[in-house]
This record gives sequence, structure tokens and C-alpha cells, in this order.
Amino acid sequence: MRTRTVQFYDVHFSKTDVKVNERFELTGKFRLMEDWPDAVTPPDIVFVSSVSPGPTIARVETYLNGEPARQSFAKLELGRDYDFRMVLEGRTPGSSHIHPSISIKGSGPLVGPGQWINISGDAHSFAFPIKTMTGLQIDDLQTFGLTNAIGWHVAWLAVAAAWLLFWLVRPLFLPRWLVLQKGREDLLVSLRDTGAGIIVAAIVLGMVFGGYVRANQEYPYNVPLQSGLNKVAPRPASPADAEVKVISATYEVPGRSMRLATRITNKGSEPLSIGELTTANIRFLNQGLPAAVANVDPTYPRDLVARTGLELSSDTPINPGETRELRVEATDAVWELERLVSFLTDVDSKFGGLLLLYTPSGKRVIAEMGGPIVPVFTELK
Amino acid sequence: MAIPKRKVNPKGETVISVSGLTPKAARYSRIFDFLVVAAVVPLFAGAFHLHVMLTVGDWDMYVDWKDRQYWPLVAPISMIMFPAALQAIFWVNFRLPIGATVGATVLLITTWLGRYANWWIWTGFPFTEGVPSQVIAGALLMDMALIVLRNSLFTSIFAGFAFGFVFWPSNYSALAPFYLPVEHQGMVASLADMIGYTFPRSNMPEYLRIIERGTLRTFGSSVSWVSAAFAGFICIFMHQLWWQLGRFASQTTFLKNGDVVKSFMGMKSRRAS
Repeated sequence: MRTRTVQFYDVHFSKTDVKVNERFELTGKFRLMEDWPDAVTPPDIVFVSSVSPGPTIARVETYLNGEPARQSFAKLELGRDYDFRMVLEGRTPGSSHIHPSISIKGSGPLVGPGQWINISGDAHSFAFPIKTMTGLQIDDLQTFGLTNAIGWHVAWLAVAAAWLLFWLVRPLFLPRWLVLQKGREDLLVSLRDTGAGIIVAAIVLGMVFGGYVRANQEYPYNVPLQSGLNKVAPRPASPADAEVKVISATYEVPGRSMRLATRITNKGSEPLSIGELTTANIRFLNQGLPAAVANVDPTYPRDLVARTGLELSSDTPINPGETRELRVEATDAVWELERLVSFLTDVDSKFGGLLLLYTPSGKRVIAEMGGPIVPVFTELK
Repeated sequence: MAIPKRKVNPKGETVISVSGLTPKAARYSRIFDFLVVAAVVPLFAGAFHLHVMLTVGDWDMYVDWKDRQYWPLVAPISMIMFPAALQAIFWVNFRLPIGATVGATVLLITTWLGRYANWWIWTGFPFTEGVPSQVIAGALLMDMALIVLRNSLFTSIFAGFAFGFVFWPSNYSALAPFYLPVEHQGMVASLADMIGYTFPRSNMPEYLRIIERGTLRTFGSSVSWVSAAFAGFICIFMHQLWWQLGRFASQTTFLKNGDVVKSFMGMKSRRAS
């Protein structure tokens, strides 16, 4: 399923070692696959986020195609690309595995490749200053307003404690129950008690509405919580310089090998060489193509780059206008490790991915591909 | 253990003397009081806290969920349940007008303990992100109404409504600073929005929040008072329902054993039955 939803690519962490309060950027792009599975809700409401083990990092700014992404977006388009940028800040010392993620309402988070970020320094030195539109300079968003909130809660607890003590110092359960059975309620609740209740009620009402009026006077320019959906246009569509048709696809279970028979048409003006097959964050590289190897960012998690690479039936570039049938083989245990073989048990046994092709001048062409896949439970001859 | 002195009424009667307890039995009854409190407080604290976590959930958990419309509506309607039941138990059986206050107090203490242990020590979220709401103000008004009115139906009508209605103003004074406006990435946000955004909850995307949706928005900036009034209206019925449940649950009922039951319990031979 994951191979047919969101394909992250060009993911880059500006730093992998940061100090507390030091900022770093997480950037990249993703393609929403055209062949979106029926079982996954389409990306009608989407939130761009980061995944971390708790708030070990602070989120400073996020963008989707350059638009502020503090709120969710409506109706992203299938088959199109988007780029994201997140400005993050180290908060809790230690190693944190940080991912970009695209949360889709109805489906949940679809997580991009994660990287270990080493955060060093003193946790207590973290502070997130901010200035309000009313001109109030706040030293730390982690603690602002707490004194007021806790103060009010302590005040309410004090009133409650006084009322409870007023009753708890008296004989309680057994004597009161016995007296009540004898019909002597007059001994249990006196007029004096009623008067005390009226006084406490007056105090409570004074605190409630006095506090409300005071809060309004102190903070006259408050705003409600902000919610709503933003809209963003996808990245401009790149010319379809390559068309990839999957003729047949098999997954050899014992060998952990995906074998594709493809028909590739070069619709561009330069020869094309297959450089990479990427799907669900794992990458199979044509290690014989320098441009493909150079395209792997040094910060990209190495465990997601298959060591065995991509095997092709022919390394010869596909000329402009040529259609060629090629066998593509991606073999690695990472299929199992990343739990990407769910098509063995799916009701919808299909796969998807991006094929990255390169021209001699280094231009990259991204082609979406996918289709039905047949598991093979015995070794292929 | 010393028995607290009670003011003697004109006939010289006290609770202890009328109860018929001997001085020794009265001393033991005081120990019994402490045992009951030690058992009941953690029990109700845990049960009430769990109930609020399950029914109010994120509205009470996070500062950036406390909107003007749903938070003042959902929270008191759910939070009146245990106080109303406790009020019935304490009043019907012991004429103690403290049940609602006990419920609200143990809830607030337990909630803060949970915030400290789970959200600060364990997961490291700042306290500002998890400032809870309190219902002590409404609970006190419920107990005060009960001692004055001494009638569950009128308590439901007046104090049930008050419980729901004062939820918004009594919490706003504690939370008002979190609604100060800031400009972030060219957009307006409240400080509460910023806190929720800055300290990410990985599995809680922004769209999960239910912020001011539906027709109550028609009332514009007065939406919170409309919600408060509506919450009060619903709380009238919730209070009476949970009062009756509390009363029912605190009854002691004996069922007469028939011959078949007695034989199952070994109290009578099967042949004899």
C-alpha cells in the first residue's frame, strides 16, 4: 500500500548534529501517486508534519510549495509533486529519529525517510521566545501563562478544601447514617450550615465573574483558536520525457527480489539511462551510473539505500523516440525489513514507485510506474 | 482518637449521642471514616479521571483544543456526571453536601498529577501544552444549591445549569493569556495555537482538532456564551440522570433466597429442595 501513496524524494537534513536551541532544516519533495489505492483516503485534507519521539525538537516554521503550512491544506492533487521545508530546532539532548510526514485525514500519517539527529547541550537551556501582536515579549513559550493558570487552580482548590474541611471535621459516615435512619436530619444540616453555603456560593460567583471581567480587562485583544484549510497549487508539471509501462511484475519471496518487465519510451530530446527505482523511501540505485549515485544526499539514511542496487537487462541509454523493453530487478532484504511485501496478503496486489532516469547532461526525469504484482513462492529459474 | 466537639443543640443532643454509638464505637467510627476516605478518594479519583480522559479527551488535554464552541460544551456535560452521582451518594445516605466538590477536587488533583508524570517527566511536553480545565467552581455551586434547596430536582434545574454555564468564565480567567494573538508566517495565531504547533505531537495532525464547526458559529464572537448556555441546559438533564444513577448504585438491596439458590449455595440439601 505504501508503495502507491506518497513517494518522498530529494529529502535533505541540513544538519545531523545540533545543539539545544540550534535550528536546522528538513527539506524535500513528494509525489502523490496517480494510482492511489482505494483503501486509502485520498489527500483531501493534509497536514505537513514531522515525526519525532515526543517534542525532542521544536517546530519553528513549515512550508508546502512555499506556502505557510501551520494549518492543514485542502485537496492536494494526485499525480503531482509538492516540495516541503521545515525549520526545526533542537530541544531535548540525545539522538532523535526525525522524519518528514504527510498526515492525511482518514488515513493517518505517511512517513518519509528518517534520520538520526544528535542534539547536544543542556535541556534546561532551551527556551522559545516569542512576541505577541500586542507587544508583549514572552521569554519562553513553555512556561508563559502557567503562573496565572496554576494560581487560579490553587485558589479553587483552596475554596474547595475549606468547604470540605468544614464538613469533614464532624462525625462522618456511620454516625450520620445512623442519625438519618432515625429521622433526625435537623442535627445533620443546620441553618448555620445553610448560611455558610450561601456565603461560599457568593464567593464562588464573585471569583467566577470577577475573574472573567479582570481577564478581559487584562487581555482585551485575544483571538480564538485559528483553524481552517489552506490551498496550495502543486509544483509545475515537468514534461513527460519518459513513459514507463510495466508489462509484468513478480516478487520472488525466497530471494526477496522484485522483477519487472517494462516498456520504456523516451519522449524527450536526449538519451535516457535508468538511474534509480525508489518506492516507499527505499532506493535501488544503478551503481554503474555516476549521476544516479551522486543524487543520493549524504544525509539520506543509508539503511534505506539497497546495497545490492538495481540490475538492468541493458545499460545502453534509450535514444529519443525509442521504445525499449527492459528487465529491471530490485533485490534486497529491505523489502522485508521495511515491511513492503504486504501485497502478499493484500486484496489489492499492486505496487508503485518512481523510476528516475538521467540524460548525459545530468538532467533527471521522473516517471511514475506501477501495476499488478504476482508473488512467486518458489525460486525463479 | 478524639472526637471533634459539636455544638450542642437546645436539647443537648449531638450527632454522636443520637446515633446511639458508645464512646468506644464512636472512636472506631472515626477510624472507619479515615479508612473510607483513604479507599474512596483514590478510587473515585482514578475512575473520574479515566472517565474524563475517555469522554472529554483532547479538549481537556491540550491548550490548543480549548476553543470557544466545543470545549465549553463537551467538557462540562461530561464532567458533571461523577460529581452528580457522588452528590447523590453523599446526600441521600449521609446528608453531606460535599459530593460534587469531592469529585471536582480529586479530578483536578489527579489531572495535574497525570500532566506532571505523563506529559512532563515521561514525554517532555511543556506544561503550557497540557493546562487542564477545572470544574470546582461549578461543583461548589452544585453543593451550595443542594444545601439551600435540599431537593435533587431543583438542584438539577438551577445548579445543573449553573455547572455548565460557569464552566467557560471560570476557566477563561486561567486560560486567557493563551489566546493572545501572535503573527506567525504571515498569519494570525493564538499563543495556544503556537504552543501546539511548536511542540509537535507526531500522531496529532492539526486537522484532528474540532474547532468551531457547525451552526453555533452564527453567533460570531458570542459563541462561547451560547455554548455555555447550551451546556447548562444539557447539564440539567445530565445532573438528574447521574443523581439517580448515584442513588441507585448506593442502595443496599437484599434478594430473598429461594430453595434452588439455597441448594446451590450448600445451605440446603438438593434432596430437601
